[in-house]
Amino acid sequence: MFTLNYRVVLIALLTTASTPLTAAPFAYISNQLADNVSIIDLATNKVVNTVAVSGKPAGVAVSPDGNKVYISTPEADGFAVIDARKQQLLTTVKTSNGALGITVAPDNKRLYVADWFKNTVSVLDASNLEIIKTITVGQSPSGLVVSPDSRWLYVANRLDNSVSKIDTHSLTVKKTVTVGEHPFGLAIDSTGGRVYAVNVESDDVTVLETAAMKSIATIKVGALPYAATLALNDSRLFVTNMDDGTLSVIDTDTLTNIGLIEVGEKPEGIGTHTDDRHIYVANWFDKNVSVLDAKTLQVTETIKTDRGSRAFGQFIAR
Amino acid sequence: MKNYFALLLFFFTSFAYAHGPVRQDTDETITINAPADKVWGIIKDFGDMSWHPAIKSTDIKGGNDKGAVRVLTLTDGGTITEELKKYDDVKLSYSYKITDMSTAKTITHAGQEEKVPVVPVGNYSATISLEPQGETTVVRWKAGYYRAYTNNNPPDEMNEVAANAAIKGIFTTGLNNLKTLAEK
Repeated sequence: MFTLNYRVVLIALLTTASTPLTAAPFAYISNQLADNVSIIDLATNKVVNTVAVSGKPAGVAVSPDGNKVYISTPEADGFAVIDARKQQLLTTVKTSNGALGITVAPDNKRLYVADWFKNTVSVLDASNLEIIKTITVGQSPSGLVVSPDSRWLYVANRLDNSVSKIDTHSLTVKKTVTVGEHPFGLAIDSTGGRVYAVNVESDDVTVLETAAMKSIATIKVGALPYAATLALNDSRLFVTNMDDGTLSVIDTDTLTNIGLIEVGEKPEGIGTHTDDRHIYVANWFDKNVSVLDAKTLQVTETIKTDRGSRAFGQFIAR
Repeated sequence: MKNYFALLLFFFTSFAYAHGPVRQDTDETITINAPADKVWGIIKDFGDMSWHPAIKSTDIKGGNDKGAVRVLTLTDGGTITEELKKYDDVKLSYSYKITDMSTAKTITHAGQEEKVPVVPVGNYSATISLEPQGETTVVRWKAGYYRAYTNNNPPDEMNEVAANAAIKGIFTTGLNNLKTLAEK
């Protein structure tokens, strides 16, 4: 009996090892209070694995090739790296003790980690995870996005009510512009021409034209908005409203609200499926993820995750 | 000069709204041997929190309408101001958030004076809801909040442990007393 079970396990192990899991598309949901990450297979919308990550995992960034997932761990002073193919923890890296916002450049060469307390962004070489430079930015930097050509990094400086544009060649701040009150999440369009800053305290979204770093509109959303994502060829912007348990839907052409969708309680991180049509929202208080169709604006599925689902950042590979 | 003051005020206001990196939660339930309409009758008025032993009195503006504001005076004299965010008479549920609190004490930490609020939490929101189960009722009280200390390396009075202990204490005391009142 023992031998038989042993053989079954061995065969299972060999099978797993010889057929590597495909890298994408998956969603990686950080469950901050459970100290783990739920991996959702976007083909089936099922949690296929849960990886333990200590240090209160918060921010998520998936490498463009889908091979690695970087998870900021503010209580472990840095971030964790998950091997996306093996779906297991690869290593942990120390940066500084307020690590929260995290992103990886589209060219896969660099990793950026914002420090909420030290007002800095650490720049790391993605190939060896060594810090190249630490850039001083505004107060409480949070959301980070990189332009599609990897040339510019944008940082939301929450307590300074501003967004900074950083030159990724010289690694210096090129320009800083005032937005609404307490910007947190950022979204960038596929051309890199626009950045949307989600302002938690003023309940609105500032639309920035990145070339001149000029605000072209401010759009009212729900209470305590947190983050945003684009879908349907950048035509619609979806914003999580934490206090209302809703998503605001914005037409990016007219820059007006065109819908409001009920999701779970305390919706936080939000991301778009590689099909550019389905939206995934982490509901912090409900310990689940809502899936909705950007065309019909209907919630199509709810996926159970774990305590404190946050998923702040780009948690689905581009 | 005017700009200088505006700037000062701006920094002060901004600072007051920051929070720690990890939002905490408390989620408590209790089963009461009384039908839901009886339990709801005790807690349904946002402006009456006399069912909680720690509350001495409640002042209310706006009844049970969204946006209503209540000021809770605690038995030890502190005050908590809360705003009603959602109210559902059918689902037997309402949600609210703390908008202001009095200071319980002032401590010195990392060379700075820190005001410890009567409940050591920040950005606090909560929901209380009833689930009828025949002749009994399950009451669920849950909250999400941050620790009171907004910078790194919090003092013991304002860290996550203090925040969680305070909320758990408030919820347990309140729910136990609600059970006693409803089962009378």
